[in-house]
Amino acid sequence: MEIFFIGILLFVLSGVFSLFCRENIKLKMITVLSFFASIFVIIPAFKTLLLGLPEGLICNWNGVFGEVPFVIDILSAFFIIIISFVSFLGVLYSNGYMKPYEGKSKKFASHCFFLPMLTASMLLVTVVQNALFFLVVWELMSLSSFFLVIFEDDKKEVLSAGIKYLIYMHISVVFIIALMALMSVKAGSYDFETFKTIFIEKPYLKDIIFFLAFLGFGTKAGFVPMHNWLPDAHPVAPSHVSAIMSAVMIKTGLYGILRVLLIIDKPTALIAFFMLCVSVLTALYGIVYAVTQKDIKKILAYSSVENIGIAGIGIGVGMIGMFYNNSVVTLLGFSGAIFHILNHSIFKSLLFMGAGSVYLKTHTKNIEKLGGLIKSMPKTAVFFLIACLSICALPPFNGFIGEFLIYLGLFGSLKMDTSGLFILIILSAAGLALVGTLALLCFTKIFSITFLGLPRHECSQKVDADVSKTMLIPMGCLALLTLLIGISAPIVFVPVSCSVADFVGVQYFYTDFVAILSVLVKLFLCFGLFILIFVIVYVVRMLICRKSIVYNTWGCGYDKGNNHIQYTASSYIGPFSSIMTPLFKKIFDVKKPKGLFPKDAHYNSSIEDVEEAYLINPIVKFDEKFLSKFERLQDGNIQHYILYGLIFLILALVGVVFLG
Amino acid sequence: MIILLILLNLILILFFPFIMLGIIKKTKAFWGGRKGVVLLQPLYDFVRLLKKQPVVSSTTSFVFKLAPVIALATSITAGLFVPTVMGFSIINIDFAFIVFAYILGLGKFFAVISAMDTGSSFEGMGASREACFTSLIEPAFFIIMASIGAVAGFYTFQSLNVFLYNADILGFCIIVLAVVALMIMLLTETSRVPVDDPATHLELTMIHEVMILDNSGCDLAFLSWASAIKMVLISSIIANLVIPYNLPLGISIALYILLLMFIAFIIGTIESAIARFRMSHVFEFVFAMSAVALVILSLITIRIYGG
Repeated sequence: MEIFFIGILLFVLSGVFSLFCRENIKLKMITVLSFFASIFVIIPAFKTLLLGLPEGLICNWNGVFGEVPFVIDILSAFFIIIISFVSFLGVLYSNGYMKPYEGKSKKFASHCFFLPMLTASMLLVTVVQNALFFLVVWELMSLSSFFLVIFEDDKKEVLSAGIKYLIYMHISVVFIIALMALMSVKAGSYDFETFKTIFIEKPYLKDIIFFLAFLGFGTKAGFVPMHNWLPDAHPVAPSHVSAIMSAVMIKTGLYGILRVLLIIDKPTALIAFFMLCVSVLTALYGIVYAVTQKDIKKILAYSSVENIGIAGIGIGVGMIGMFYNNSVVTLLGFSGAIFHILNHSIFKSLLFMGAGSVYLKTHTKNIEKLGGLIKSMPKTAVFFLIACLSICALPPFNGFIGEFLIYLGLFGSLKMDTSGLFILIILSAAGLALVGTLALLCFTKIFSITFLGLPRHECSQKVDADVSKTMLIPMGCLALLTLLIGISAPIVFVPVSCSVADFVGVQYFYTDFVAILSVLVKLFLCFGLFILIFVIVYVVRMLICRKSIVYNTWGCGYDKGNNHIQYTASSYIGPFSSIMTPLFKKIFDVKKPKGLFPKDAHYNSSIEDVEEAYLINPIVKFDEKFLSKFERLQDGNIQHYILYGLIFLILALVGVVFLG
Repeated sequence: MIILLILLNLILILFFPFIMLGIIKKTKAFWGGRKGVVLLQPLYDFVRLLKKQPVVSSTTSFVFKLAPVIALATSITAGLFVPTVMGFSIINIDFAFIVFAYILGLGKFFAVISAMDTGSSFEGMGASREACFTSLIEPAFFIIMASIGAVAGFYTFQSLNVFLYNADILGFCIIVLAVVALMIMLLTETSRVPVDDPATHLELTMIHEVMILDNSGCDLAFLSWASAIKMVLISSIIANLVIPYNLPLGISIALYILLLMFIAFIIGTIESAIARFRMSHVFEFVFAMSAVALVILSLITIRIYGG
């Protein structure tokens, strides 16, 4: 455990040291220190995960926090591994990505300071078992990510997206404070361990606690309807920051929900079904909007919402399993969720890094302007393709395994009693299938419009070379991992399932574990067979036709086909958006050509989030209107401010005297 | 015995597609009052295509060359999961239908991106429609398989046969509905009339055919073989619903082949009798499968939990 703190200290020190370094070695120094720091934090995590023994340390901060226990249990060990791994690759990637900004941006120093701070605070979130200190590190995490998001704060949309993120996080933290306060008051202590006792006498508290946790942690994770910060904050943040945020930081929200579930123990039916329903809705909502967007990072942000939904379905299934005391379903649900969290952290960071490489080379995030990049950036294209295949949950890549386990959990829970549950579960499975096929629609779009065909605009035409090695290496590592985890799923399942053993209960764990493992081994053999068939077909094809003639694309009698007649992203999703019209708020920006010799004309259509347009914006508007009535109070006159203070003190005094 | 069945399965999956295509052609010729081509003409076409040198667009990348291989490999692999005669499938694992659907998804992913790889607007159109229409099929398929599996208590393709053993009036209704739903899936996934018309070469009206405009030679051969294999696979799933497993081997094979020929005849008849739908109506047709699937779900809920 001490070695873990050395790691954390190294992260913090690398941030502090970076303030005193020259600009061109800042990131290099952080990378080297982060590497060692990651090793230091991963060692105890692995030890815990393999031995199954939690490790802990109690720090005594007299007066302020009291006794603060830091515990690496198997759940947090799992999160520590993915957080430190993905963050390190993100930092490595930033060496290449931030090169153009070196010496040019005033924010560079603060960026370098907060980058390791974010990692350190995320790691601390997973080990702190004290309510008060948890809130401190949670806030530290939100703030450091906020400063990372507003890197290019001279642009207006960056700042407004950053502020939006900050506001969302602070609304969410209100619920987390309420949650922690409620549990602390009932238990009479800040220690998470003591919280478990409060439900023995008052089981109705379970619902309240869970809904507070869902509102608080769910906002961080991006559950609908609190997801709105994601599609704004991710596109404006530097790509490695989006990668770290989307791949691991939003998972701390899920970690929070899982931690609260561990405290609650057996959930009530209400919260189990609620979790399943809201997750299915989140997944569908996320993917429907991901399909329709044009900004490459906005697509990925909405797809993060979708994937959080999928992991949430897993958690929901696990909760249903716990409610009905069905240990197999519990294990399948939670391990499916954890497996999906692992997978998503790998392929989503890869996708964001790929998007960042594209942005660095073309300076645009609008996929309508891209195209043909597979010729100029072949390695990035291959890595991106692998990530796309994996996120669509296509076998034999890793994305499939997590969803497969969740399907197994869903179908496993069909054997339980009521008809309402039966219909709900089958519709959830169908929802998950729909999410999968829409993901296919979304990621064929993003890959083919960005990398295939001909360049649609000069910004993608003039790209001459692939990105530097420091950016390709992390992407290559992640791409390799997606395939490796997919193929070696039975091996990876061991630590994944161990990390949720606490939910299942040790006495049932081993029999269920073996049963699921045998299914995965069979799946592994199927994948092997598929790869064998693929190789055979490939060899046969190579033998049959060795040569081919190269000629233009057939233009259906039209001779000079060029890049402008290609299908665009909007036309690609045309049939889909036509049937989904009621779900969207379409915004048109049209200037028609006029006169005999028309000069300029344009047509632009975009799709806005209905939830934001019809739910969030009216609230904000009302808020503005209401609060503007109090504007007069702030008149800049210092005497008045002192008067307000005095009035408040008198009111407080009166309150204490009469009510206290 | 097992080796024999494996061989039989492989032969049926790999070579029966050509016969099915031939029967469709013959049927269309019959309704059109023509003599038509010989039954094995699709096979001859396939061999002829294999011998031809492919023309590859200069716009394309490795994706274009890889896609036909993956499409064929995924179709064959998916075929290993589907039981044909006497409920025997080469790979028999629980939840086979999930792997089946997702493996076919991999092939579809590559088919779509290889069409987009050519930079042709026609192929983009086909890719867009194919990706969109077929995305609505899978949820309905999962509803059917999951709810039928719930009755049987296990989730493989063999669970479809359970209804035949204890067929009451409700079970019979469910079988009929499931066959209808799977027929819609068959017509959509293999792009036949009324969803798509594989016979025309008018690009604007086509879906699957227009996606493979630029493929030629062995690439085209692989792609059309892969698509035809899919037809046999979905027909075999239908066969599981209507042919009991406990018949002798000879009768099973005969029934199975007759059923597949009958399905091919129906497809041919549909193609002769009606024109393909307008694009906006295709959605309604595809949604019909979801509607049928929901009816099956409610009937099965009644069957399990009582009225």
